Amino acid sequence: MNYLDLTIKEMHEALVNKKIKVSDLVKKAIERCKNDKFNALEATNYEAALNEAYELDKEEVPCDNFLFGIPYIAKDNFSTRGIESTGGSNILNGYIPSFDATVIKILKENKAIMIAKSTLDELAMGGSGKSGHKGIQFNPYDETKNHLIGGSSSGSAVATAASYVPFSLGSDTGDSIRKPASYAGLVGFKPTYGLISRFGLFPFSVSLDHVGYFTRSVDDAAILFDYLNKYDKRDYTSSLKGRNKVYPLKEEKHHKIAVLKEVIDSIKDEMILSSFNNLIEKLKNEGNEVEYVSIDPSILKALYPAYIIISSAEATSNNANLDGIKFGNRKEGNSYQEVMFNTRNEGFSELIKRRFVLGSYALMSENQEEVYLKAKKVRRVVVDKVNEIFNSYDCFIAPASPTVAHSLNEVSDDLDDTYLIADNYLGIGNFGGFPSITIPLGVKENLPFGLSITGKIFDDSKVFEIAKECENLTNLKNLSTVTLKEKEAK
Amino acid sequence: MKEVNKDILKDAASRLLFDMKDEEYDTLLNEFGIITKQLKLMDEIKGLNDVEPMSFPYVDESFSLLREDEPVKEDEVDKEEMLQNAKVYRDGQVKLPKVVN
Repeated sequence: MNYLDLTIKEMHEALVNKKIKVSDLVKKAIERCKNDKFNALEATNYEAALNEAYELDKEEVPCDNFLFGIPYIAKDNFSTRGIESTGGSNILNGYIPSFDATVIKILKENKAIMIAKSTLDELAMGGSGKSGHKGIQFNPYDETKNHLIGGSSSGSAVATAASYVPFSLGSDTGDSIRKPASYAGLVGFKPTYGLISRFGLFPFSVSLDHVGYFTRSVDDAAILFDYLNKYDKRDYTSSLKGRNKVYPLKEEKHHKIAVLKEVIDSIKDEMILSSFNNLIEKLKNEGNEVEYVSIDPSILKALYPAYIIISSAEATSNNANLDGIKFGNRKEGNSYQEVMFNTRNEGFSELIKRRFVLGSYALMSENQEEVYLKAKKVRRVVVDKVNEIFNSYDCFIAPASPTVAHSLNEVSDDLDDTYLIADNYLGIGNFGGFPSITIPLGVKENLPFGLSITGKIFDDSKVFEIAKECENLTNLKNLSTVTLKEKEAK
Repeated sequence: MKEVNKDILKDAASRLLFDMKDEEYDTLLNEFGIITKQLKLMDEIKGLNDVEPMSFPYVDESFSLLREDEPVKEDEVDKEEMLQNAKVYRDGQVKLPKVVN
């Protein structure tokens, strides 16, 4: 066992008790990053990270700062001062921000050490981990590299699952943290909309984008939340509410938990279903009230089309600043219009262009009512329905994905219920800004799958509490490719 | 809803200041076949026309607070550092092709 395979909390204790130095952790993290076989990394920050680690070695480790000397990785759509930030797109090759995103700044102030930036689907638009300019990110649970990790926070998921670092930053617009967390056996959390600042995150779809992260335990996720949950005047959607500390988590039982019946009905994988049913039985035995609730399937089936329209439409305007003039990978032309055209034409990949065209189509004046506004009405219906459920329950749960990680060439039927409902319902969390977490639920033939828990807005603490109870019942705390191998060896 | 054909897609792309190859428009047109079917699923929801479109996850009075337009001192960035991201600049300004010859 290496100290880097511990959770943040355990790593912190080892630092406080002088069992290990910050530089030992950082050296190991760099070594693992250098041996990365799964294409997880963009720019690296090794030298500066190591220098910082040596500086921290000289200081007494403060007992009350969990992040002191902890190595981490940030998705490459966070602005990092002095470090190239591309968002996984050729249009931003060579772009070096002159400021830090607020979350990067908070982590820096608390002496966490950024080791590298991670790969992602281009500009965070996509769920496969295949579309970024560095190519495919592979699932570290399959060393033959035949399975995907999912996206868009693909490299960050790899980095935490393969234990390069104990946590990594991601962003979540539809399920871009919580879905790869399912395929990677991780805790993946996105907060209530408005609680963690998005200043310095490259915007994809502002009404849906959330900053979140991957960890290997629920406690670690709660600890990080307390650091990052800060009002930020630079983010116009930063809320003045909901600033309570959540850690240490309360161990209350007797929660009221709803199970989304239609999501379960649309899952075919028997192992995922039986693991889920086992967990429900255990939750009931612990004194929780667990009940199936229904949402009209026509509402759930409309989730994905509404999502793709709203997100693509917002993406067209959110990415209008990528013109190569003020920053980015400028391509010359005979006029400023030509500079913009050539920069965008060469800088965006085909896939991203297709998404933009869909967004542009939805926003055409002839289509506004029939496409764009209709999608926004669907959003309202979904959120109202879910809030109705939250009048009677603390949260709703279901498997976070209907399958384990996809193999490289797997094709899904984009019109069947499994795809439309079970593969896309996590977007509910983004529609309503609900706090939502994925935790490991089981492992099937060496590939993990997760459980999703979603709660009321500003009730992030309850989501963590229920997640912790589930984590105790599944006994899958601190799952990683390293710890799974160790477990199997025993 | 505007009928989708290649010209419409080309128009949409040109509004966004890029173009695609012919075969890429074909792929996109095929994709629209599926997307159109998915969009029709929205019509199955009863009473959809009776609700107001939703733009943000929830209503929060703090989002709409008007703030003083004052620069934040700690946010000051180095002008030279910023300009380096514009590939072509001179005398503290970003350089573009001449508009008037």
